[in-house]
Amino acid sequence: MMARRVSGAGTASRAAGERLVAHVLLACTVVAVVTLAAVLAVLVREAGMFFADVSPWRFLTEITWAPAAAEPRFGVLPLLVGTAQIGVGAAVFALPAGLMTAVYLHQYAGSRTARLLSGVTALMAGVPTVVYGLFALHFVTPALRVLWPGVEAFNALSACLVVGLMILPTVTVLSREALDSVPPPLLDAGLALGAPKGRVVTRVLLPAASGGILAAVLIAMARAVGETMIVSLAAGNEARLTWSPFEGLQTLSAFLTQLGMGDAATGTREFQAFFAVGAVLFVGTYGIHMAGRMLVSRSVGRAGQ
Amino acid sequence: MTRHKRRRDPVGAACRVAALAVLSGFLVFTAYLGFAASRGVGIDFLRGASSVAVDGTGMGPALAGTLWLLLLTAVLALPIGIGTAIYLEEYAPRTRVTAVIESVAANLAGVPSVIYGIVGLALFVRALGMGPTILAGGCTLAVLALPGVIVTSRTAIRRVPEGLRLAAYGLGATRWQVVRNQILPAAGSGIVAGCCAAFTRTAGAAAPLLVLGTATYMSFAPQTPAHPLTSLPTQIFTWATRSQEEFAALAAGAAIMLLLLLLIMNLISALVVRRLSGAAR
Repeated sequence: MMARRVSGAGTASRAAGERLVAHVLLACTVVAVVTLAAVLAVLVREAGMFFADVSPWRFLTEITWAPAAAEPRFGVLPLLVGTAQIGVGAAVFALPAGLMTAVYLHQYAGSRTARLLSGVTALMAGVPTVVYGLFALHFVTPALRVLWPGVEAFNALSACLVVGLMILPTVTVLSREALDSVPPPLLDAGLALGAPKGRVVTRVLLPAASGGILAAVLIAMARAVGETMIVSLAAGNEARLTWSPFEGLQTLSAFLTQLGMGDAATGTREFQAFFAVGAVLFVGTYGIHMAGRMLVSRSVGRAGQ
Repeated sequence: MTRHKRRRDPVGAACRVAALAVLSGFLVFTAYLGFAASRGVGIDFLRGASSVAVDGTGMGPALAGTLWLLLLTAVLALPIGIGTAIYLEEYAPRTRVTAVIESVAANLAGVPSVIYGIVGLALFVRALGMGPTILAGGCTLAVLALPGVIVTSRTAIRRVPEGLRLAAYGLGATRWQVVRNQILPAAGSGIVAGCCAAFTRTAGAAAPLLVLGTATYMSFAPQTPAHPLTSLPTQIFTWATRSQEEFAALAAGAAIMLLLLLLIMNLISALVVRRLSGAAR
Protein backbone atom coordinates (compact mmCIF):
# COMPACT_ATOMS: atom_id res chain seq x y z
CA MET A 1 0.00 0.00 0.00
CA MET A 2 2.74 2.42 0.84
CA ALA A 3 5.26 2.53 -1.97
CA ARG A 4 7.29 5.46 -0.77
CA ARG A 5 10.74 6.45 -1.86
CA VAL A 6 13.31 5.85 0.81
CA SER A 7 15.84 8.57 0.40
CA GLY A 8 17.59 11.03 2.61
CA ALA A 9 15.61 14.01 1.35
CA GLY A 10 12.30 12.16 1.74
CA THR A 11 13.07 11.23 5.31
CA ALA A 12 14.03 14.78 6.18
CA SER A 13 10.86 16.31 4.70
CA ARG A 14 8.79 13.60 6.33
CA ALA A 15 10.35 14.40 9.68
CA ALA A 16 9.54 18.07 9.11
CA GLY A 17 5.95 17.13 8.24
CA GLU A 18 5.73 15.06 11.40
CA ARG A 19 6.86 18.01 13.49
CA LEU A 20 4.40 20.31 11.73
CA VAL A 21 1.48 17.98 12.42
CA ALA A 22 2.50 17.64 16.06
CA HIS A 23 2.65 21.42 16.38
CA VAL A 24 -0.74 21.92 14.73
CA LEU A 25 -2.34 19.37 17.06
CA LEU A 26 -0.68 20.98 20.06
CA ALA A 27 -2.00 24.35 18.90
CA CYS A 28 -5.54 22.88 18.73
CA THR A 29 -5.18 21.66 22.30
CA VAL A 30 -3.90 25.02 23.50
CA VAL A 31 -6.80 26.85 21.80
CA ALA A 32 -9.32 24.44 23.32
CA VAL A 33 -7.85 24.67 26.82
CA VAL A 34 -7.55 28.46 26.67
CA THR A 35 -11.15 28.78 25.44
CA LEU A 36 -12.58 26.60 28.18
CA ALA A 37 -10.38 28.34 30.76
CA ALA A 38 -11.69 31.69 29.50
CA VAL A 39 -15.26 30.51 30.12
CA LEU A 40 -14.37 29.71 33.72
CA ALA A 41 -12.39 32.94 34.09
CA VAL A 42 -15.29 35.14 32.94
CA LEU A 43 -17.66 33.35 35.31
CA VAL A 44 -15.27 33.60 38.27
CA ARG A 45 -14.32 37.22 37.59
CA GLU A 46 -17.85 38.61 37.30
CA ALA A 47 -19.16 36.48 40.18
CA GLY A 48 -16.16 37.57 42.26
CA MET A 49 -16.95 41.25 41.69
CA PHE A 50 -20.55 40.58 42.69
CA PHE A 51 -19.54 38.90 45.94
CA ALA A 52 -17.14 41.75 46.71
CA ASP A 53 -20.27 43.95 46.90
CA VAL A 54 -22.88 41.56 48.25
CA SER A 55 -21.86 39.21 51.03
CA PRO A 56 -22.34 35.51 50.17
CA TRP A 57 -24.19 35.11 53.46
CA ARG A 58 -26.83 37.66 52.50
CA PHE A 59 -26.96 36.16 49.01
CA LEU A 60 -27.78 32.73 50.43
CA THR A 61 -30.11 33.68 53.27
CA GLU A 62 -32.27 36.62 52.15
CA ILE A 63 -35.60 35.60 50.72
CA THR A 64 -36.24 38.31 48.14
CA TRP A 65 -34.78 38.20 44.65
CA ALA A 66 -35.27 41.50 42.81
CA PRO A 67 -32.01 42.41 41.05
CA ALA A 68 -33.56 44.94 38.68
CA ALA A 69 -35.65 46.80 41.25
CA ALA A 70 -34.93 50.40 42.20
CA GLU A 71 -33.71 49.07 45.53
CA PRO A 72 -32.26 45.75 44.38
CA ARG A 73 -32.45 42.71 46.64
CA PHE A 74 -30.14 39.78 46.09
CA GLY A 75 -31.52 36.84 48.08
CA VAL A 76 -31.04 33.80 45.85
CA LEU A 77 -33.14 31.49 48.04
CA PRO A 78 -36.32 31.68 45.90
CA LEU A 79 -34.34 30.64 42.83
CA LEU A 80 -32.52 27.85 44.69
CA VAL A 81 -35.74 26.47 46.15
CA GLY A 82 -37.49 26.77 42.78
CA THR A 83 -34.68 24.84 41.11
CA ALA A 84 -34.84 22.11 43.76
CA GLN A 85 -38.62 21.89 43.39
CA ILE A 86 -38.38 21.39 39.63
CA GLY A 87 -35.58 18.84 40.06
CA VAL A 88 -37.38 16.81 42.71
CA GLY A 89 -40.73 17.08 40.92
CA ALA A 90 -39.26 15.86 37.63
CA ALA A 91 -37.47 13.04 39.44
CA VAL A 92 -40.72 11.85 41.05
CA PHE A 93 -42.15 11.25 37.57
CA ALA A 94 -39.09 10.25 35.61
CA LEU A 95 -37.00 8.06 37.90
CA PRO A 96 -39.51 5.24 38.60
CA ALA A 97 -40.85 5.27 35.04
CA GLY A 98 -37.38 5.36 33.47
CA LEU A 99 -35.93 2.67 35.73
CA MET A 100 -38.91 0.36 35.26
CA THR A 101 -38.76 0.85 31.50
CA ALA A 102 -35.09 -0.10 31.63
CA VAL A 103 -35.94 -3.28 33.60
CA TYR A 104 -38.71 -4.04 31.10
CA LEU A 105 -36.28 -3.65 28.19
CA HIS A 106 -33.65 -5.76 29.93
CA GLN A 107 -35.81 -8.59 31.28
CA TYR A 108 -39.24 -8.73 29.74
CA ALA A 109 -39.41 -7.20 26.27
CA GLY A 110 -39.18 -9.30 23.14
CA SER A 111 -36.43 -8.28 20.74
CA ARG A 112 -38.84 -6.46 18.42
CA THR A 113 -40.55 -4.49 21.20
CA ALA A 114 -37.16 -3.71 22.69
CA ARG A 115 -35.91 -2.35 19.38
CA LEU A 116 -39.03 -0.22 18.93
CA LEU A 117 -38.86 1.18 22.45
CA SER A 118 -35.12 1.86 22.21
CA GLY A 119 -35.70 3.69 18.94
CA VAL A 120 -38.42 5.83 20.52
CA THR A 121 -36.12 6.58 23.45
CA ALA A 122 -33.32 7.63 21.11
CA LEU A 123 -35.71 9.93 19.23
CA MET A 124 -36.95 11.48 22.47
CA ALA A 125 -33.38 12.12 23.58
CA GLY A 126 -32.75 14.20 20.46
CA VAL A 127 -35.75 16.53 20.83
CA PRO A 128 -34.62 20.11 21.62
CA THR A 129 -35.89 21.24 24.99
CA VAL A 130 -37.56 24.35 23.56
CA VAL A 131 -39.91 22.00 21.70
CA TYR A 132 -40.76 20.28 24.98
CA GLY A 133 -41.34 23.74 26.43
CA LEU A 134 -43.86 24.51 23.71
CA PHE A 135 -45.63 21.22 24.53
CA ALA A 136 -45.67 22.10 28.23
CA LEU A 137 -47.09 25.59 27.78
CA HIS A 138 -49.64 24.90 25.05
CA PHE A 139 -50.75 21.33 25.83
CA VAL A 140 -49.90 20.18 29.36
CA THR A 141 -50.86 23.42 31.12
CA PRO A 142 -54.27 23.73 29.38
CA ALA A 143 -54.89 20.04 30.13
CA LEU A 144 -54.05 20.56 33.81
CA ARG A 145 -56.33 23.58 33.95
CA VAL A 146 -59.20 21.47 32.70
CA LEU A 147 -58.53 18.97 35.49
CA TRP A 148 -57.94 21.55 38.24
CA PRO A 149 -59.35 25.01 37.48
CA GLY A 150 -57.10 26.50 40.19
CA VAL A 151 -53.92 25.93 38.19
CA GLU A 152 -52.26 29.19 37.13
CA ALA A 153 -51.24 29.88 33.53
CA PHE A 154 -47.63 29.52 34.61
CA ASN A 155 -47.18 26.66 37.07
CA ALA A 156 -44.52 24.36 38.43
CA LEU A 157 -46.50 21.15 37.91
CA SER A 158 -46.53 21.41 34.12
CA ALA A 159 -42.79 22.17 34.12
CA CYS A 160 -42.08 19.19 36.41
CA LEU A 161 -44.08 16.79 34.23
CA VAL A 162 -42.39 17.85 31.02
CA VAL A 163 -38.87 18.11 32.48
CA GLY A 164 -39.55 14.55 33.68
CA LEU A 165 -40.45 13.56 30.12
CA MET A 166 -37.26 15.22 28.90
CA ILE A 167 -34.93 13.32 31.28
CA LEU A 168 -36.73 9.98 30.78
CA PRO A 169 -34.44 8.87 27.92
CA THR A 170 -31.33 9.68 29.99
CA VAL A 171 -32.61 7.63 32.93
CA THR A 172 -33.70 4.73 30.72
CA VAL A 173 -30.56 4.50 28.60
CA LEU A 174 -28.08 4.88 31.47
CA SER A 175 -29.95 2.49 33.82
CA ARG A 176 -30.16 -0.06 31.04
CA GLU A 177 -26.39 0.16 30.61
CA ALA A 178 -26.07 -0.47 34.34
CA LEU A 179 -28.39 -3.49 34.13
CA ASP A 180 -26.49 -4.84 31.12
CA SER A 181 -23.26 -4.78 33.11
CA VAL A 182 -24.65 -7.26 35.66
CA PRO A 183 -23.25 -10.74 34.85
CA PRO A 184 -26.09 -13.02 33.59
CA PRO A 185 -24.94 -16.04 35.70
CA LEU A 186 -25.92 -14.07 38.79
CA LEU A 187 -29.53 -13.92 37.56
CA ASP A 188 -29.48 -17.54 36.39
CA ALA A 189 -28.34 -18.58 39.86
CA GLY A 190 -31.31 -16.78 41.38
CA LEU A 191 -33.77 -18.38 38.96
CA ALA A 192 -32.18 -21.81 39.48
CA LEU A 193 -32.85 -21.49 43.20
CA GLY A 194 -36.52 -21.27 42.32
CA ALA A 195 -37.00 -17.55 42.92
CA PRO A 196 -39.70 -15.98 40.73
CA LYS A 197 -38.48 -13.56 38.13
CA GLY A 198 -39.88 -10.53 39.91
CA ARG A 199 -37.93 -11.41 43.03
CA VAL A 200 -34.72 -11.97 41.06
CA VAL A 201 -35.20 -8.49 39.61
CA THR A 202 -35.71 -6.78 42.97
CA ARG A 203 -33.26 -8.84 45.05
CA VAL A 204 -30.45 -9.61 42.58
CA LEU A 205 -30.56 -7.46 39.45
CA LEU A 206 -31.32 -4.06 40.97
CA PRO A 207 -28.91 -4.34 43.95
CA ALA A 208 -26.11 -5.56 41.66
CA ALA A 209 -26.67 -2.60 39.32
CA SER A 210 -27.31 -0.06 42.08
CA GLY A 211 -24.05 1.89 41.55
CA GLY A 212 -24.72 2.41 37.86
CA ILE A 213 -28.37 3.24 38.51
CA LEU A 214 -27.42 5.88 41.06
CA ALA A 215 -25.03 7.34 38.50
CA ALA A 216 -27.85 7.44 35.95
CA VAL A 217 -30.04 9.23 38.47
CA LEU A 218 -27.34 11.82 39.21
CA ILE A 219 -26.59 12.56 35.55
CA ALA A 220 -30.31 12.87 34.81
CA MET A 221 -30.73 15.19 37.82
CA ALA A 222 -27.90 17.40 36.56
CA ARG A 223 -29.86 17.78 33.33
CA ALA A 224 -33.15 18.46 35.13
CA VAL A 225 -31.60 21.08 37.41
CA GLY A 226 -29.99 22.88 34.48
CA GLU A 227 -33.04 22.67 32.22
CA THR A 228 -33.88 26.14 31.01
CA MET A 229 -36.38 26.40 28.19
CA ILE A 230 -39.14 24.15 29.55
CA VAL A 231 -39.03 25.91 32.90
CA SER A 232 -38.96 29.45 31.58
CA LEU A 233 -41.82 28.74 29.18
CA ALA A 234 -44.05 26.71 31.53
CA ALA A 235 -43.26 27.97 35.04
CA GLY A 236 -43.04 31.65 34.24
CA ASN A 237 -40.40 34.05 35.41
CA GLU A 238 -41.47 35.34 38.77
CA ALA A 239 -39.04 34.61 41.60
CA ARG A 240 -41.09 33.64 44.61
CA LEU A 241 -41.08 31.15 47.43
CA THR A 242 -44.11 28.91 47.12
CA TRP A 243 -44.89 25.31 47.90
CA SER A 244 -47.91 25.08 45.63
CA PRO A 245 -47.23 23.18 42.39
CA PHE A 246 -50.13 25.10 40.84
CA GLU A 247 -48.26 28.41 41.05
CA GLY A 248 -45.41 29.75 38.94
CA LEU A 249 -41.82 30.03 40.07
CA GLN A 250 -38.38 30.91 38.73
CA THR A 251 -35.31 28.70 38.68
CA LEU A 252 -31.62 29.64 38.54
CA SER A 253 -31.45 28.71 34.85
CA ALA A 254 -34.67 30.49 33.89
CA PHE A 255 -33.40 33.65 35.57
CA LEU A 256 -30.26 33.54 33.41
CA THR A 257 -32.32 33.81 30.20
CA GLN A 258 -33.58 37.18 31.48
CA LEU A 259 -30.15 38.62 30.71
CA GLY A 260 -31.09 38.55 27.03
CA MET A 261 -34.44 40.26 27.60
CA GLY A 262 -33.29 43.11 29.82
CA ASP A 263 -30.56 45.65 29.26
CA ALA A 264 -28.20 45.16 32.20
CA ALA A 265 -25.02 47.11 31.32
CA THR A 266 -21.60 45.53 31.70
CA GLY A 267 -20.03 46.28 35.09
CA THR A 268 -23.28 46.98 36.94
CA ARG A 269 -24.19 44.92 39.94
CA GLU A 270 -27.32 43.72 38.17
CA PHE A 271 -25.16 42.35 35.34
CA GLN A 272 -22.81 40.66 37.80
CA ALA A 273 -25.76 39.08 39.61
CA PHE A 274 -26.35 36.92 36.52
CA PHE A 275 -22.83 35.56 36.83
CA ALA A 276 -23.23 34.93 40.55
CA VAL A 277 -26.36 32.88 39.79
CA GLY A 278 -24.52 31.25 36.87
CA ALA A 279 -21.66 30.30 39.19
CA VAL A 280 -24.08 28.70 41.68
CA LEU A 281 -25.74 26.72 38.89
CA PHE A 282 -22.35 25.80 37.44
CA VAL A 283 -21.00 24.48 40.74
CA GLY A 284 -24.20 22.53 41.40
CA THR A 285 -24.51 20.83 38.01
CA TYR A 286 -20.76 20.28 37.69
CA GLY A 287 -20.67 18.62 41.09
CA ILE A 288 -23.68 16.36 40.49
CA HIS A 289 -22.34 15.40 37.06
CA MET A 290 -18.86 14.66 38.43
CA ALA A 291 -20.29 12.44 41.19
CA GLY A 292 -22.34 10.58 38.58
CA ARG A 293 -19.34 10.02 36.30
CA MET A 294 -17.18 8.80 39.18
CA LEU A 295 -19.87 6.27 40.08
CA VAL A 296 -20.04 5.11 36.45
CA SER A 297 -16.30 4.51 36.21
CA ARG A 298 -16.29 2.77 39.60
CA SER A 299 -19.18 0.45 38.80
CA VAL A 300 -17.74 -0.34 35.37
CA GLY A 301 -14.38 -1.07 36.98
CA ARG A 302 -15.99 -3.39 39.52
CA ALA A 303 -18.00 -5.29 36.90
CA GLY A 304 -14.78 -5.88 34.99
CA GLN A 305 -13.05 -7.53 37.95
CA MET B 1 -41.29 -24.18 34.16
CA THR B 2 -44.79 -23.56 32.83
CA ARG B 3 -46.06 -23.23 36.37
CA HIS B 4 -43.44 -20.57 37.04
CA LYS B 5 -44.51 -18.68 33.97
CA ARG B 6 -48.10 -18.74 34.99
CA ARG B 7 -47.27 -17.48 38.46
CA ARG B 8 -48.13 -13.81 38.82
CA ASP B 9 -45.24 -11.39 38.49
CA PRO B 10 -46.17 -7.95 39.88
CA VAL B 11 -42.73 -6.54 39.08
CA GLY B 12 -43.09 -7.53 35.45
CA ALA B 13 -46.59 -6.11 35.26
CA ALA B 14 -45.45 -2.80 36.77
CA CYS B 15 -42.53 -2.57 34.36
CA ARG B 16 -44.86 -3.23 31.44
CA VAL B 17 -47.17 -0.43 32.57
CA ALA B 18 -44.22 1.94 32.95
CA ALA B 19 -42.96 1.17 29.44
CA LEU B 20 -46.45 1.71 28.08
CA ALA B 21 -46.68 5.05 29.91
CA VAL B 22 -43.36 6.20 28.45
CA LEU B 23 -44.46 5.19 24.98
CA SER B 24 -47.82 6.94 25.32
CA GLY B 25 -46.17 10.09 26.70
CA PHE B 26 -44.11 10.26 23.54
CA LEU B 27 -47.15 9.55 21.35
CA VAL B 28 -49.15 12.35 23.00
CA PHE B 29 -46.22 14.71 22.46
CA THR B 30 -45.91 13.78 18.76
CA ALA B 31 -49.67 13.95 18.23
CA TYR B 32 -49.81 17.41 19.81
CA LEU B 33 -47.04 18.74 17.53
CA GLY B 34 -48.67 17.33 14.40
CA PHE B 35 -52.12 18.53 15.35
CA ALA B 36 -50.98 22.02 16.38
CA ALA B 37 -48.91 22.49 13.25
CA SER B 38 -51.66 21.26 10.94
CA ARG B 39 -53.73 24.31 11.85
CA GLY B 40 -52.75 27.36 9.91
CA VAL B 41 -49.45 26.37 8.41
CA GLY B 42 -49.38 26.97 4.68
CA ILE B 43 -46.60 26.50 2.17
CA ASP B 44 -45.74 30.21 2.39
CA PHE B 45 -44.61 29.50 5.92
CA LEU B 46 -41.45 27.82 4.64
CA ARG B 47 -40.37 30.74 2.54
CA GLY B 48 -41.82 33.74 4.24
CA ALA B 49 -40.27 36.05 6.76
CA SER B 50 -41.21 36.01 10.40
CA SER B 51 -43.21 39.06 11.26
CA VAL B 52 -45.40 40.38 14.01
CA ALA B 53 -48.49 39.91 11.84
CA VAL B 54 -49.78 36.39 11.77
CA ASP B 55 -50.70 36.30 8.11
CA GLY B 56 -47.79 35.91 5.73
CA THR B 57 -45.47 34.91 8.51
CA GLY B 58 -42.76 32.31 8.02
CA MET B 59 -39.55 30.85 9.22
CA GLY B 60 -37.21 31.28 6.25
CA PRO B 61 -34.87 33.67 8.11
CA ALA B 62 -34.81 31.48 11.22
CA LEU B 63 -34.01 28.37 9.19
CA ALA B 64 -31.21 30.19 7.35
CA GLY B 65 -29.91 31.43 10.71
CA THR B 66 -29.77 27.91 12.11
CA LEU B 67 -27.92 26.63 9.03
CA TRP B 68 -25.40 29.48 9.40
CA LEU B 69 -24.95 28.67 13.09
CA LEU B 70 -24.40 24.97 12.34
CA LEU B 71 -21.81 25.82 9.69
CA LEU B 72 -19.92 28.18 12.01
CA THR B 73 -20.02 25.70 14.87
CA ALA B 74 -18.72 22.92 12.64
CA VAL B 75 -15.90 25.05 11.23
CA LEU B 76 -14.81 26.26 14.67
CA ALA B 77 -15.42 23.32 16.98
CA LEU B 78 -14.72 20.23 14.85
CA PRO B 79 -11.06 20.80 13.87
CA ILE B 80 -10.10 22.11 17.28
CA GLY B 81 -12.03 19.45 19.19
CA ILE B 82 -10.87 16.48 17.12
CA GLY B 83 -7.30 17.85 16.96
CA THR B 84 -7.28 18.16 20.75
CA ALA B 85 -8.57 14.62 21.14
CA ILE B 86 -5.86 13.23 18.82
CA TYR B 87 -3.15 15.21 20.59
CA LEU B 88 -4.24 14.15 24.07
CA GLU B 89 -4.61 10.48 23.12
CA GLU B 90 -1.72 9.91 20.72
CA TYR B 91 0.89 12.62 21.34
CA ALA B 92 0.75 13.96 24.87
CA PRO B 93 2.40 11.96 27.63
CA ARG B 94 -0.11 10.67 30.18
CA THR B 95 0.31 13.09 33.03
CA ARG B 96 -1.85 14.56 35.71
CA VAL B 97 -2.47 17.59 33.46
CA THR B 98 -4.02 15.51 30.67
CA ALA B 99 -6.13 13.63 33.22
CA VAL B 100 -7.42 16.93 34.60
CA ILE B 101 -8.18 18.26 31.09
CA GLU B 102 -10.10 15.08 30.34
CA SER B 103 -12.21 15.15 33.50
CA VAL B 104 -12.93 18.89 33.23
CA ALA B 105 -13.99 18.54 29.59
CA ALA B 106 -16.27 15.60 30.43
CA ASN B 107 -17.98 17.53 33.23
CA LEU B 108 -18.22 20.74 31.19
CA ALA B 109 -20.24 18.71 28.67
CA GLY B 110 -22.85 18.35 31.43
CA VAL B 111 -23.04 22.03 32.37
CA PRO B 112 -26.31 23.76 31.31
CA SER B 113 -26.05 25.54 27.98
CA VAL B 114 -27.49 28.77 29.35
CA ILE B 115 -24.25 29.32 31.30
CA TYR B 116 -22.33 29.35 28.03
CA GLY B 117 -24.84 31.97 26.94
CA ILE B 118 -24.07 34.47 29.71
CA VAL B 119 -20.33 33.95 29.20
CA GLY B 120 -20.77 34.35 25.43
CA LEU B 121 -22.62 37.62 26.03
CA ALA B 122 -19.83 39.01 28.22
CA LEU B 123 -17.05 37.68 25.97
CA PHE B 124 -18.15 37.74 22.33
CA VAL B 125 -21.04 40.21 22.22
CA ARG B 126 -19.60 42.84 24.56
CA ALA B 127 -15.84 42.43 25.24
CA LEU B 128 -14.95 41.50 21.65
CA GLY B 129 -17.60 43.85 20.25
CA MET B 130 -19.32 41.36 17.94
CA GLY B 131 -22.79 42.50 19.00
CA PRO B 132 -25.77 40.10 18.94
CA THR B 133 -24.87 38.68 15.54
CA ILE B 134 -24.84 35.23 13.99
CA LEU B 135 -21.06 35.27 14.38
CA ALA B 136 -21.32 35.74 18.15
CA GLY B 137 -23.95 32.96 18.25
CA GLY B 138 -21.70 30.63 16.25
CA CYS B 139 -18.74 31.29 18.55
CA THR B 140 -20.88 30.66 21.64
CA LEU B 141 -22.32 27.43 20.24
CA ALA B 142 -18.81 26.32 19.22
CA VAL B 143 -17.64 26.73 22.83
CA LEU B 144 -20.75 24.85 23.96
CA ALA B 145 -20.03 21.98 21.54
CA LEU B 146 -16.29 21.80 22.20
CA PRO B 147 -16.27 19.67 25.39
CA GLY B 148 -18.67 17.15 23.83
CA VAL B 149 -16.60 16.87 20.65
CA ILE B 150 -13.37 16.38 22.62
CA VAL B 151 -14.85 13.75 24.96
CA THR B 152 -16.61 11.66 22.30
CA SER B 153 -13.62 11.77 19.93
CA ARG B 154 -11.28 10.70 22.74
CA THR B 155 -13.57 7.83 23.65
CA ALA B 156 -13.66 6.67 20.02
CA ILE B 157 -9.87 6.89 19.67
CA ARG B 158 -9.36 5.02 22.93
CA ARG B 159 -11.51 2.13 21.71
CA VAL B 160 -9.03 1.41 18.89
CA PRO B 161 -7.27 -1.85 19.88
CA GLU B 162 -3.78 -1.27 21.23
CA GLY B 163 -2.46 -4.07 18.99
CA LEU B 164 -3.19 -2.00 15.87
CA ARG B 165 -1.04 0.83 17.21
CA LEU B 166 1.79 -1.43 18.33
CA ALA B 167 1.82 -3.35 15.03
CA ALA B 168 2.03 -0.14 13.01
CA TYR B 169 4.78 1.31 15.20
CA GLY B 170 6.57 -2.04 14.98
CA LEU B 171 6.60 -1.75 11.19
CA GLY B 172 8.37 1.58 11.57
CA ALA B 173 5.42 3.90 11.00
CA THR B 174 5.75 7.42 12.35
CA ARG B 175 3.27 8.87 14.78
CA TRP B 176 1.25 10.73 12.14
CA GLN B 177 1.26 7.68 9.85
CA VAL B 178 -0.20 5.62 12.69
CA VAL B 179 -2.83 8.27 13.35
CA ARG B 180 -3.75 8.82 9.70
CA ASN B 181 -3.64 5.24 8.44
CA GLN B 182 -4.69 3.25 11.51
CA ILE B 183 -6.33 5.33 14.24
CA LEU B 184 -8.56 7.64 12.18
CA PRO B 185 -9.96 4.89 9.90
CA ALA B 186 -10.67 2.67 12.91
CA ALA B 187 -12.09 5.44 15.12
CA GLY B 188 -13.78 7.41 12.32
CA SER B 189 -17.26 5.99 12.77
CA GLY B 190 -17.17 6.62 16.52
CA ILE B 191 -15.94 10.18 16.02
CA VAL B 192 -18.68 10.96 13.48
CA ALA B 193 -21.41 9.47 15.69
CA GLY B 194 -20.16 11.35 18.77
CA CYS B 195 -19.82 14.67 16.97
CA CYS B 196 -23.29 14.25 15.53
CA ALA B 197 -24.70 13.79 19.03
CA ALA B 198 -22.87 16.91 20.22
CA PHE B 199 -24.20 18.86 17.22
CA THR B 200 -27.77 17.70 17.78
CA ARG B 201 -27.56 19.23 21.24
CA THR B 202 -26.06 22.43 19.84
CA ALA B 203 -28.47 22.87 16.92
CA GLY B 204 -31.45 22.69 19.26
CA ALA B 205 -30.02 25.02 21.88
CA ALA B 206 -32.27 28.02 22.42
CA ALA B 207 -31.21 29.24 25.85
CA PRO B 208 -27.67 30.49 25.07
CA LEU B 209 -28.86 32.32 21.95
CA LEU B 210 -31.73 33.96 23.83
CA VAL B 211 -29.21 35.29 26.33
CA LEU B 212 -27.06 36.78 23.56
CA GLY B 213 -30.16 38.65 22.40
CA THR B 214 -32.00 37.44 19.32
CA ALA B 215 -34.02 39.46 16.91
CA THR B 216 -37.71 38.63 17.36
CA TYR B 217 -38.61 40.33 14.10
CA MET B 218 -36.68 39.44 10.98
CA SER B 219 -37.88 40.43 7.55
CA PHE B 220 -35.14 38.90 5.41
CA ALA B 221 -32.83 35.91 5.52
CA PRO B 222 -29.32 36.43 6.88
CA GLN B 223 -26.69 36.64 4.13
CA THR B 224 -23.53 36.95 6.25
CA PRO B 225 -22.49 36.07 9.81
CA ALA B 226 -22.61 39.79 10.65
CA HIS B 227 -26.41 39.64 10.41
CA PRO B 228 -28.46 39.94 13.62
CA LEU B 229 -28.88 36.62 15.39
CA THR B 230 -31.88 34.49 14.51
CA SER B 231 -32.46 30.73 14.68
CA LEU B 232 -35.22 28.13 14.66
CA PRO B 233 -35.04 27.31 18.41
CA THR B 234 -35.24 30.95 19.47
CA GLN B 235 -38.00 31.59 16.94
CA ILE B 236 -39.96 28.70 18.44
CA PHE B 237 -39.47 30.25 21.88
CA THR B 238 -40.61 33.69 20.72
CA TRP B 239 -43.71 32.31 19.05
CA ALA B 240 -44.47 30.03 21.99
CA THR B 241 -44.57 33.00 24.38
CA ARG B 242 -47.28 34.76 22.33
CA SER B 243 -50.76 34.24 23.65
CA GLN B 244 -52.64 33.96 20.34
CA GLU B 245 -53.37 30.43 19.15
CA GLU B 246 -52.00 31.19 15.66
CA PHE B 247 -48.52 31.71 17.04
CA ALA B 248 -48.65 28.34 18.82
CA ALA B 249 -49.40 26.76 15.45
CA LEU B 250 -46.44 28.57 13.90
CA ALA B 251 -44.20 27.45 16.76
CA ALA B 252 -45.31 23.85 16.26
CA GLY B 253 -44.61 24.12 12.53
CA ALA B 254 -41.13 25.49 13.21
CA ALA B 255 -40.59 22.74 15.80
CA ILE B 256 -41.41 20.06 13.23
CA MET B 257 -39.02 21.75 10.78
CA LEU B 258 -36.27 21.73 13.43
CA LEU B 259 -36.94 18.06 14.26
CA LEU B 260 -36.77 17.17 10.55
CA LEU B 261 -33.47 19.03 10.23
CA LEU B 262 -32.03 17.11 13.19
CA LEU B 263 -33.41 13.84 11.81
CA ILE B 264 -31.77 14.45 8.41
CA MET B 265 -28.50 15.33 10.16
CA ASN B 266 -28.62 12.11 12.20
CA LEU B 267 -29.57 9.99 9.17
CA ILE B 268 -26.61 11.34 7.18
CA SER B 269 -24.36 10.67 10.15
CA ALA B 270 -25.74 7.12 10.46
CA LEU B 271 -25.02 6.50 6.76
CA VAL B 272 -21.47 7.83 7.12
CA VAL B 273 -20.96 5.71 10.25
CA ARG B 274 -22.13 2.58 8.44
CA ARG B 275 -19.87 3.38 5.48
CA LEU B 276 -16.85 4.04 7.69
CA SER B 277 -17.29 1.02 9.92
CA GLY B 278 -17.71 -1.13 6.80
CA ALA B 279 -14.48 0.28 5.36
CA ALA B 280 -12.56 -0.31 8.57
CA ARG B 281 -13.38 -4.00 8.59
